[in-house]
Amino acid sequence: MPILDDKTKTEVTKILGTMIKPVTLKLFTQPFECGYCKDTHELLEEIVELNPLLKLEVVQFDQDTDVVAEFGIDKIPAIAVIGDRDYGIRFYGIPAGYEFSSLLSAVLMVSTGVHKLTDQAKKFLDNLAKPVHLQVFVTPTCPYCPPAVIMAHQMAFYSDKVKADMVEVSEFPHIGNKYSVQGVPRTVVNEKWFMEGAAPEQMLIDKIKESL
Amino acid sequence: MFDFNLSMPTNADPNTLYDLIIIGGGPAGLTAGLYAARYKLKTLMLEKAVISGGQLTATEWVENYPGFPEPILGQKLAKDMESQAKQFGLEIINESVIDVDLAGSIKKIVTDYSTWQAKSVLIATGSASRKLGVPGEKENAGRGVSYCATCDGPFYPDKIVAVIGGGNSAFEESIFLAKYASKVVIIHRSDDYRADKIIQDKVMANPKIELMPGYAVQSIEFANSDDKHLVLVEQGTGAEISFPADGVFIFIGHVPNTKLFEEKIELEAGYIVTDRRHFTNVEGVWAAGDVEAKSLRQVATAVGDGACAAFWINKYIEDWTEN
Ligand SMILES: Cc1cc2nc3c(=O)[nH]c(=O)nc-3n(C[C@H](O)[C@H](O)[C@H](O)COP(=O)(O)OP(=O)(O)OC[C@H]3O[C@@H](n4cnc5c(N)ncnc54)[C@H](O)[C@@H]3O)c2cc1C
Repeated sequence: MPILDDKTKTEVTKILGTMIKPVTLKLFTQPFECGYCKDTHELLEEIVELNPLLKLEVVQFDQDTDVVAEFGIDKIPAIAVIGDRDYGIRFYGIPAGYEFSSLLSAVLMVSTGVHKLTDQAKKFLDNLAKPVHLQVFVTPTCPYCPPAVIMAHQMAFYSDKVKADMVEVSEFPHIGNKYSVQGVPRTVVNEKWFMEGAAPEQMLIDKIKESL
Repeated sequence: MFDFNLSMPTNADPNTLYDLIIIGGGPAGLTAGLYAARYKLKTLMLEKAVISGGQLTATEWVENYPGFPEPILGQKLAKDMESQAKQFGLEIINESVIDVDLAGSIKKIVTDYSTWQAKSVLIATGSASRKLGVPGEKENAGRGVSYCATCDGPFYPDKIVAVIGGGNSAFEESIFLAKYASKVVIIHRSDDYRADKIIQDKVMANPKIELMPGYAVQSIEFANSDDKHLVLVEQGTGAEISFPADGVFIFIGHVPNTKLFEEKIELEAGYIVTDRRHFTNVEGVWAAGDVEAKSLRQVATAVGDGACAAFWINKYIEDWTEN
């Protein structure tokens, strides 16, 4: 049974039609002790079939420890969306439900170079002196979550200083507990600063400023 | 097993003069978009969320929308409404409208990224959850205080949650929450519930759900994670009690999303005043759905409003001239 139905595939094909540069989806997986690794793998295999500019690379989490370390992956399934280089865009957990849009948005952004950050945001990111790590906690049924994920990924795309993760919290409940996630989306900035909801760009910038 | 909700913006051009711009992509906007696209009006929808569907996307089951004898998932209904409208050519851009100039014959709609222009505008911005306005609510939003059961319900496995409200949303979402929580307690000021009788019966029959009428929330005390509780006041006696709960879901109605239109369009208690054609008091501007001053705010009424508005907008565009 394919993961994506034909109708969704047609839609994805159309969306990916606007790709310009090649994109690699690096999947970190392992054959055991990983609830959604197999499904995520199948999902990505089906997606890369739909456009020749899209490629899948599979990294064995338990074996290819050098690559795992290089990409800073600490849980699986994980997807790194790579273009000309690694922008620090990560998905932890299967990007299903509403997060499917977040995945395709990240692919298109990396491929076309188009993002929606405002001039103020760019200016702020240009002057970042310290690294910023954004973790956006989501559930697949949360309609308010993709905007928060996409915003974080845009910042990672634009700035070398920013890394941004989507974390599907129901697959990583212990991490949810660690950051006391009780509602989604919740963005964790540099481990200790929190933001609830899909807040506007300026609010995230203010949070980042606070954390530095 | 997995559901994939895809919703991606189209590549619209800000230099186009649209026949119609629809602000808001809930059931009202999507239906108007479907009709307008079939009338061959050049139509653009501006929706601030990444996903169309409005409040439908935050709803678990819809049981009272005709045509679906089995309950349908709100998120599924939203997705289907969107794909149907897109099939007929509706363009959707995911931008938030931040300002409007509705005075002239060409309307200007400003988003955080562009300014769009159209001969007519349909406002379908719907409504947002009403806040209780008690201490501890804002501080704990997303940390135990929620307005969306489908989003946050799964965070309460075997926990006790309080639901505030007495209408359909409070009752329906309690049934959803009871799938996760060990106990759901619906707290309401009185024992006079607005929820449809059939939903009330379902709630009564659910062993995990309890009703607690006659109490109002005074404050939400979630700061100490070992002693999370609500302070409730018994109506009549004024006695205060502490009610332990791991989370609280608030469904006490809605406030219209009309801030943008204050002093530009006639409002009544915040809602947009329309006539039977869904026409506002401003030439070339219509409103449909929850945002309108009306008596019943449901999916079935929202789609009817949207269809009717599109019909009159089509007539307006036939006679439109620039001045
Ligand atoms: C928990 C819950 C359960 C419900 N259950 C049922 C049910 O079982 N049956 C039923 O019939 N009804 C139900 N309803 C009510 C129903 O969902 C609403 O009546 C209906 O969605 C109204 O549609 P609408 O299009 O008018 O507005 P909305 O659904 O509110 O959509 C408005 C849209 O406008 C967008 N928007 C707002 N401001 C802007 C802006 N400035 N720029 C761009 N976009 C903007 C919003 O993002 C939103 O997508 C429920 C509602 C809730 C909250």
